[in-house]
Amino acid sequence: MDWDVDVQFAENGQEALDAISNSQFDLLFLDLNMPVKDGYQTLEALASFEDAPAVIVVSGDVQPKAIERVKAMGAMEFHKKPAAEEDLRELLVSLGLFTEGESPNRPVLEKVTAAEQFTLNECLQEVANVAMGQAASALANMMNVFIKLPVPKVNILEVSELHMALDYSVRDDTCSLVSQGFVGSGIAFEALSVFSDSSFPDMAKLLGIEGNITRSLETELLMDVSSVLVGPFMTAIGKQINIDFSHSHPVLLGQHVKIADLINAKKSTWKRTLAVEIIYEVENYQVNCDLMLLFTEDSISTLENLLSFLVEEDE
Amino acid sequence: MSYDDGLADLHWMFDMLHHIDVGLVVVNQQYEVKLWNSFMENHSGVSSSIAKEQSLLSIFPTLDESWLCQKMETVFALKTPIYISWEQRPNLFPFKSCRPITGIADKMYQNVAIRPISNPDGSVKHLCLIVYDVTDIATNKMALTSANQRLHRLMKALSK
Repeated sequence: MDWDVDVQFAENGQEALDAISNSQFDLLFLDLNMPVKDGYQTLEALASFEDAPAVIVVSGDVQPKAIERVKAMGAMEFHKKPAAEEDLRELLVSLGLFTEGESPNRPVLEKVTAAEQFTLNECLQEVANVAMGQAASALANMMNVFIKLPVPKVNILEVSELHMALDYSVRDDTCSLVSQGFVGSGIAFEALSVFSDSSFPDMAKLLGIEGNITRSLETELLMDVSSVLVGPFMTAIGKQINIDFSHSHPVLLGQHVKIADLINAKKSTWKRTLAVEIIYEVENYQVNCDLMLLFTEDSISTLENLLSFLVEEDE
Repeated sequence: MSYDDGLADLHWMFDMLHHIDVGLVVVNQQYEVKLWNSFMENHSGVSSSIAKEQSLLSIFPTLDESWLCQKMETVFALKTPIYISWEQRPNLFPFKSCRPITGIADKMYQNVAIRPISNPDGSVKHLCLIVYDVTDIATNKMALTSANQRLHRLMKALSK
């Protein structure tokens, strides 16, 4: 952009706040899902600053309630991710922050997220982040709730580590799982939705179902919620990396089981998997759902290649 | 039906066939691919534009050529569908399992139907191969069979 300003980058909310306390800034582009201090916490802290910069939130979390909240907390505008240059330019012009040929005097602090750095993990995290926001928005609209979105975790896991990761997410409880396979352009993965069994009463409440929770109702809840959770997520991922994935029919892997009984380390023939983990929580409800994308080892190089194109296009 | 309805119909049909969770291939008498749906694209890694006009046998060099040609010739000659069970050829096409992580099988088990496609004049110049993913059925059946065999051996040992 032909915008004559000084730009500084911060890794997370805390870094941005530190920079703002040290020098003066006009404008802050702020992400919501960040480690250390997220966007909401940053906005909260900024309220006590005397000469705080104007804030434009740039986030993949497109839930109407998220947008409402950041505006109530003092953000000037919200822009969805990924942000195209023309859209941003239009927004800046409409806010009176940028006029062609002119430039503000003071430096601009910009929060830039992973897509600008080049590691596979970070790119994937960002792609998952955008997809997660769109999936959450679909769910939030359907159920009229607010979904708390964490930072997606991306890791290469061995069989035993996958056990640990899943065990941790369901803690002592038993769980129920649905898995759906996806394949396209040399990338193969499973989308595993893991529901902690203590989530069922509130899941029924969320979907407006009354009465006893029978086994068959649980099955219905599992299939419904995993479909709405996985479907929009995959569409968003596919759009970003431009793959029309083939998907298998979802399979009910188990109900009320311990993880250890389910993924048998001895029987497993794979060694490592690239795992993207997203833990969805619904505000004011006891619903924990862990969505895991498990990529096969031989998909990693293809994925790396595709994501690097994605970053180049963004530049 | 108006022209637009007909066109929409065609579009729906195409969208369904392209995205259905079943492999669809149409070949002519030289076994050259004329149609290759998204299931075939995604599982084989060969795009439709590359697969088209190529011989099915050159896309998958590991296919048992004489065996498969004989099956296809039978369909052309008799104008009747024939079926290949996973129990006969577990993995006719070299596809991987859809659930590589939580599934037991590495490869996709397939049932394949080969059907004649007749022209308006009744002649058969094309075949359709329909590829079903039956990995879950196959692994479950194999697990059941082996459990029954173990049970049978135990019963025998007990009755001695």
